[in-house]
Amino acid sequence: MVDSYLRQRSSKDWKKSEKHGAGEWLAERWTSVALIVLTGWALWSAFGLMNQGYEAALAFVKAPVNAGLMALTFVITVWHTYMGLNANLLDYFPNSRALKLLNLLFCLVLLAAALSGLFLAFKA
Amino acid sequence: MSQTPPQTPLRPMSPHLQIWRFHITMFTSILHRATGLALVVGAVLVAAWLLAIGITAAGICPQAYTAFLIFAKSPFGLLVWFGLSLAGFLHLTGGLRHLIWDMAIGFQLKSANALAWWGLIGGIVLTVIFWVVLFTTGKVVL
Repeated sequence: MVDSYLRQRSSKDWKKSEKHGAGEWLAERWTSVALIVLTGWALWSAFGLMNQGYEAALAFVKAPVNAGLMALTFVITVWHTYMGLNANLLDYFPNSRALKLLNLLFCLVLLAAALSGLFLAFKA
Repeated sequence: MSQTPPQTPLRPMSPHLQIWRFHITMFTSILHRATGLALVVGAVLVAAWLLAIGITAAGICPQAYTAFLIFAKSPFGLLVWFGLSLAGFLHLTGGLRHLIWDMAIGFQLKSANALAWWGLIGGIVLTVIFWVVLFTTGKVVL
């Protein structure tokens, strides 16, 4: 009796990841592996650009390889962030659709800001 | 006792800070989550850097990049960068630990504790090395 009651409750309140299989779990892993490489490259680039001023930063972003890698880094970072923040939300506010939506909006705005900055610099 | 309880007792929320006795794997688990959250600030700052270059280059706000640099070079900015580098390196070693676990290695109590300690020490050491290099190469001047 208690068991079925708990099951009922768990299907409603608890972690939802099991409903969409291993896809999210695998995405968390692959994005993390990709980010080791990409953020490593970004950190190395940032090290080179430090104290070099605006012109150097602009020239860096204008190089197609750098712009492309930067965009890729941001897409994967934001994806990884979205999944990470969602894991937190599921633990503390499992039923809040508002927070889930807020997370999605935040991540989209973050991505849009980075990509539009990149685009403006690239086109300038 | 066959009756359904009127209300399911409220269970403690993850990561169960109220009922956990301190141990190193618990600490690094919480730390991995905390550093992940802190790194959101880092993502926002890098996005701001890109946006600052973009709107400066496009002439929308020519002072944007200078404003970003004033923040980035300020003592408060340096403190933020230091915190982010520490969070980044700890999240890196924490993430590597998770990837090792995902290969079904290191679940013995002894190896799990060792992985937690090595991740913690490794993250701190990498951060210290990073900042020593920044200061000795003159990239960062106080």
